[in-house]
Amino acid sequence: MSMVRVIARLDIKGANLVKGIRLEGLRVLGDPDTFARYYYESGADELIYQDAVASLYGRNSLCEIISRTSREIFIPLTVGGGLRSLEDIRQALAAGADKVSLNTAAIADPGLIREASRRFGSSTIVVAIEAGRQANGSWLAFTDNGREHTGVDAVEWAIRAEELGAGEILATSIDREGTGEGFDTDLCSRIASAVKIPVIAHGGAGRAEHVAEVAVKTGVSAVAVSSILHYEAIRTLRPRDSGGGEGNREFLQSGRGVSHVQPCQMRELKRLLLDRGVQCRLEDAA
Amino acid sequence: MDEQLPAYYGLPARVQFCRRCVMSNQRPASAVEFRHTIDSRKKTLAIDNEGICDACRVADHKQTIDWKAREEALVELLDKYRSKDGSYDCIVPGSGGKDSAYQAHVLKYKYGMNPLTITWPPILYTEYGYKNWKNWLDVGGFDNLAFTRNGRVMKLLTRLSIENLFHPFQTFILGQKNVGPRLAAKLGIPLVFYGENEAEYGNPIADTSSSLRDKSFHTYSQLEDLYLAGISIRELVDRYGVRLQDLMCFLPPREEELRRVDVQVHYLGYYLKWTPQEVYYYAVENCGFRARPFRTQGTYSKYNSIDDKIDDLHYYTTWIKFGIGRATYDASQEIRNGHITREEAVALVNRFDGEFPDRYFNEVMDYIEMSPEHFHTITDRFRSPHLWKQDAAGKWQLRHRVGGNGVDDQPEADSGSNRALRAA
Amino acid sequence: MSELRVQIVDYGLGNLFSIRQACLQAGITAEISSTAAGLSEVDGIILPGVGAFGHAMDTLQQRELVEPICAAVSSGKPLLGICLGMQLLLDASEEFGLHRGLGLIPGVVRRLPERRPDGALLRIPAVGWNRIFLNPERSEPEVECGFRDGQWVYFVHSFAAVPERSADILTLTDYEGIRYCSAVRLGHVTGVQFHPERSASGGIAFFRHWAAGLRKRI
Repeated sequence: MSMVRVIARLDIKGANLVKGIRLEGLRVLGDPDTFARYYYESGADELIYQDAVASLYGRNSLCEIISRTSREIFIPLTVGGGLRSLEDIRQALAAGADKVSLNTAAIADPGLIREASRRFGSSTIVVAIEAGRQANGSWLAFTDNGREHTGVDAVEWAIRAEELGAGEILATSIDREGTGEGFDTDLCSRIASAVKIPVIAHGGAGRAEHVAEVAVKTGVSAVAVSSILHYEAIRTLRPRDSGGGEGNREFLQSGRGVSHVQPCQMRELKRLLLDRGVQCRLEDAA
Repeated sequence: MDEQLPAYYGLPARVQFCRRCVMSNQRPASAVEFRHTIDSRKKTLAIDNEGICDACRVADHKQTIDWKAREEALVELLDKYRSKDGSYDCIVPGSGGKDSAYQAHVLKYKYGMNPLTITWPPILYTEYGYKNWKNWLDVGGFDNLAFTRNGRVMKLLTRLSIENLFHPFQTFILGQKNVGPRLAAKLGIPLVFYGENEAEYGNPIADTSSSLRDKSFHTYSQLEDLYLAGISIRELVDRYGVRLQDLMCFLPPREEELRRVDVQVHYLGYYLKWTPQEVYYYAVENCGFRARPFRTQGTYSKYNSIDDKIDDLHYYTTWIKFGIGRATYDASQEIRNGHITREEAVALVNRFDGEFPDRYFNEVMDYIEMSPEHFHTITDRFRSPHLWKQDAAGKWQLRHRVGGNGVDDQPEADSGSNRALRAA
Repeated sequence: MSELRVQIVDYGLGNLFSIRQACLQAGITAEISSTAAGLSEVDGIILPGVGAFGHAMDTLQQRELVEPICAAVSSGKPLLGICLGMQLLLDASEEFGLHRGLGLIPGVVRRLPERRPDGALLRIPAVGWNRIFLNPERSEPEVECGFRDGQWVYFVHSFAAVPERSADILTLTDYEGIRYCSAVRLGHVTGVQFHPERSASGGIAFFRHWAAGLRKRI
């Protein structure tokens, strides 16, 4: 049984870690640096930083957090959101990212994938696909954080992205993302069997068992999770919210819990994976 | 000079934007719809001497409200009406959108009431909007009465509203406002809950001093006074052959009916602090609500008012008549909730305001039996000269925009941020 | 304790910033430089790299770095090759034809196979965490290797080194049933196929160990 990476994904808006449902809503959960460090120390295999509004506002603002993270956190960091050109990619990598994730710009100009993989190496280029399930059972690719139709078939696009030189595919189910209802295992299987490069499953984990399920059933090489980790981190770290900051902070200030996911710590999650026969990296506590 | 250009609808001659949100003073307060004609002069959003609008002032005021006391008042009210024999004790009008999902759920599961939900259905359901309505009842768990109107009359009135008022939603709004109190009176369930208090959006501030609606919204004394689709009732009957009884469901209940049952209309938003974005999360977690699977045209959002295909067109008409598109409405609300900065809002308005809603347009035109060409022709009739100007290529442009990039906006001695705002 | 200075050779490939940060964490001051000028002055050299072997060697030639690096090594300067940088230490690579390497460690570089021993498709490049095991043929104790036996480290590669002499193999790794050499060492020349700068605390510990080795030689 193949090894699976468990990746903590952080959606970021400005200075805030945010968490939506179906890529909608920007509920603030706290300071991304705090969460990133917590995940690193609890054994995350990689981190993904996604700028949730870069495409919306046509701006890039992650360079500072990338620099801070790469000073102290020594696991691979993938950065995405609003990367539109080779120069944007170069800047993200120079700031300390190991990989970049492309979606909106890549669908608009697929040649960008080829150029970027030639210039920076295939293994540096992740193509992220936001997949929306259609009534006829197929999936269409969306851009701009689940906002815009493209009419492009998601699985065909994954194949094309591989041909153009993508090193990995990040497959997000828009319908499941943030709901805690479990991964779209059909989507993950279809994409994982359509390409030879590694596929990262994303969207829908509501409890640790879901991660085991998608790892066992679909042939993905990695799983990206957000809600179950973030809501556990909030409970454990009890980060202080100074209030008055911009963003939807009502949830944070209320101190209440959530019912749609079962929060789970990274180490606990990996133990469950091993119990279910999924190989993953679990270091003994130092 | 703006002052010499005619301003339609009684709108203020000079266009001014709130300095805090991105709304303009051209925004009309909710009309008393059944007295609404093309000649009605609008009451509009007031912007004070400091350049801050009424809606922002209300939002400020929200910060100082003692919500604990308000909730206590709610509980006291509910205690008076809560049924002990399994009968319905309140009415929650709604369509299964995020707001009514939240209202009904909170009243039932947190405060122990037994609401009957009442739906005045959209004119043209979207698939996901219909699913949300079903999930509201099947996942959230509520009884519901859906009042399906006479479709022939609905269609005629919708078309006439567009022709005469350029207001596709006029008839819908009429029914929506009246169905709660009307059925409350008929069913003998006096307590009716709507959601947000309209003053949140800039209707005259006096409305928030109590949570009851201005009775003029849902009572009247003489039929002849009234207008539908901008036409008098008399003309509708005489010229369009509509029967009076076919119009009753668009009209408010009579005063006598209301007095018999002492119907009380309350806003839940008066008692409970309302954060629309958190209401979205609540609706997803508790009532199976799903946002639109793609961006709403004319704005950036996906979960506000998504169940009616005509809704998108409605915001296009506000863009034409008042220069205010859907992104402006959504972004202004988010500024007041502290979710986004003004700079971000300006960028969103520049990017999305006024986007033509082509996705459902042809379907809407088919439904009301109007040709798209005719719609585009009458569109220009409703552009007020003080807001719109045709450029050299004959394209209509707004004279004034919140980003300072309207065709008549002066390039001031530029500060960098003004340039940046315009460039956004 | 005097400051340890190391040059990270910049020939346009690889995430140099991360390596520098990891060095810093381990107490090494690392300068990123694309010229040979400073090579004799520093206490050690790091050769990073990501991408194609042939292209990398061409670039090193163009920038006139090949001779100076080899000369520095001959004079006793410790060299650490990371990922592609390790592969370049070998004699040659079979990627897209035969390309000559630096020839500091006898052997070749070959592509990882397309299929696992059981016939299933192997996903290439190999991306992710895996364990490294110390070569039992080597004589030095674990504490002198810089790694714990079975330590987790992070890999991204499609090719692997095949050293001529098994004694030069420092660690071995099993990827989906394929066993290959994941680190080499010959004297003061070390190569690691994985990315120690991305291998969490174990990776930093390796840099510290390497730094201790540099200090001994000063």
